[in-house]
Amino acid sequence: MPETLKRIAEYGLTLLIIITLNFALPRMMPGDPFMQLSGADGDVVEAYTAEQREYFRTYYGLDRPVTEQFIVYIGELSRGDLGSSYYFKEAVGTLIFRRLPWTLFLVTAATMLSLLAGLIIGSFAAWRRGRKTERFIYLAMVVLGEIPAFLVGLILLIILAAGLGWFPLSGAMTHFARFDSAWERAADIIYHAALPVLTLALARSGSFFLLVRNSLGTVLTRDYMRTARAKGLSKWKLRWRHAMRNAMLPLITRTGMQVGAIVGGAVLVENVFNYPGLGKLMQDAVFVRDYPLLQGIFMVLAVTVIVANLLADLLYRRLDPRITPNIKQ
Amino acid sequence: MIENIIPKAFRRAGQFWSMLTFSGRIALIILLLLILLAIFAPLVSWHPHDASSGPALVPPGNGHIMGTDELGVDLWAMIAYGARVSIIVGLGTALLAGLGGSVLGIVAAYRGGLTDRIVMRLVDIMIALPDLPVMIVLAAFFGPSLRNIIIVLALFAWSRPARLVRSQMLVLKEQSYIKMAAHFGGGFFYLLRKHFLPELLPLIMVSMIRLAGMAIITEASLSFLGLGDPTARSWGLIINHAVNFSGIYFTSFWQWWLLYPLTFLTLLVASLAMFGRDIEHLADPRILR
Repeated sequence: MPETLKRIAEYGLTLLIIITLNFALPRMMPGDPFMQLSGADGDVVEAYTAEQREYFRTYYGLDRPVTEQFIVYIGELSRGDLGSSYYFKEAVGTLIFRRLPWTLFLVTAATMLSLLAGLIIGSFAAWRRGRKTERFIYLAMVVLGEIPAFLVGLILLIILAAGLGWFPLSGAMTHFARFDSAWERAADIIYHAALPVLTLALARSGSFFLLVRNSLGTVLTRDYMRTARAKGLSKWKLRWRHAMRNAMLPLITRTGMQVGAIVGGAVLVENVFNYPGLGKLMQDAVFVRDYPLLQGIFMVLAVTVIVANLLADLLYRRLDPRITPNIKQ
Repeated sequence: MIENIIPKAFRRAGQFWSMLTFSGRIALIILLLLILLAIFAPLVSWHPHDASSGPALVPPGNGHIMGTDELGVDLWAMIAYGARVSIIVGLGTALLAGLGGSVLGIVAAYRGGLTDRIVMRLVDIMIALPDLPVMIVLAAFFGPSLRNIIIVLALFAWSRPARLVRSQMLVLKEQSYIKMAAHFGGGFFYLLRKHFLPELLPLIMVSMIRLAGMAIITEASLSFLGLGDPTARSWGLIINHAVNFSGIYFTSFWQWWLLYPLTFLTLLVASLAMFGRDIEHLADPRILR
């Protein structure tokens, strides 16, 4: 139990660093936020008189001590108040909630798909270790795992959408279309999501493949596998009941550890396909210099990733009986 | 003296070459060609890379072997000079993060105790942070100059060499010959120079090559999102400009404006991945094949 608490404290510290970073950045950046307000194209415009700026400084509480500002900031965060967007003139929280489902859909579908691909190809490779086909698959998956998602996406986009015209170029739904039934609507959404999901899945399957291959590879050399083989168990039972089950454990938890990379990939993929999720919104925010919006999205993504990592970490400890404090001693 | 060094270097290079796999060799050749392209950029391209040199958006041919972009800038010149940006980013990040991370790893392992715990906690935090979103935010706030991008990349890259070097140092520290040398009065810097560094150097070199590769790939991702240095156009930024040209797929412009930088970037990234894997296995036989 103390080990669990220690872990939570550790991730809590990471969270605190992110919050502090988010708080400090606008105050550290070159220039003054009020100078940047109207300079949309990057040029610094003095849009306010000295009195106006003084007024805004008081209004936003920037004349108070930093510690007080920080406490106020944390209070707002804990109430879920992420401020309001300069550009869209709306609460950041509302904007994020509107876009979040698309990103969630994309990430979940792609994770499932890449996990499945990793499992199938990875176990195939683990059983045929050292053969020529396996070596080729290994190299291909390793290279695929290091190619950034946006490159994979652009290649697919050029070949399948721009070249062959099989898939839509961008967006998540047909604009201004009226659907006769919910089914047609769903079909349209899936049709638009196909390439983004495929891209993200392809870009992530390399690391899942390596995980499955290595974890199965370790399991196969264990004594209990030899025992099982000596008992004359069928190949099927040997592979799925004995090997796969034991290899799955690290896989489940490592999936949680991968969330950070998957989110990063989703940001890129959404921008390739103009998919209206958080990643696209984040780039829009960068483009129009909407700092509160940028920070709000960053906060949501960071918290999600940290929570996922913590859960994976705790789950690993719970599932693997070998990692318990009383055995360590 | 000098006549000895050159054959020796050739023999070393030959040894290295024979240790690479087939894919590693191909990757190395491609990487060397791209480095040559970067070095001789002014010689191989005859148009300016940062100014218009003809009509906008002309297809390849007629002096512009890869066509021009929306401002009439020659694409081949931009690609040749863009290779320089990748190399600067890769080298800069590898040096900064590789040396910084190695120093931290060495100090953490040698001192142990509180120093070690602080460094390792920092490493854990860096691993838990979602790197791309943090980099986007940092680049957006501090402005995407080449220097800032290198700093941001290094900030996220140092934890890998730090961890590797630290664990290797912990093993070395327990070796009896090193303990002996310490008992005979060898100070930290003596031990470092005579015993630690010769053992650590291959590891540091390999992780620096890996860092350079990852930095180049990440810079491409950031540039693709529009967060590249606008005065030093990398391939990622050319792609960003092409993709943001509205309706590019409804015209034929993408067939050169997007396709050529994309091909070069894919070649570079794939070669870095293949070469990186190869040397990683050479340096650490414990990694299974």
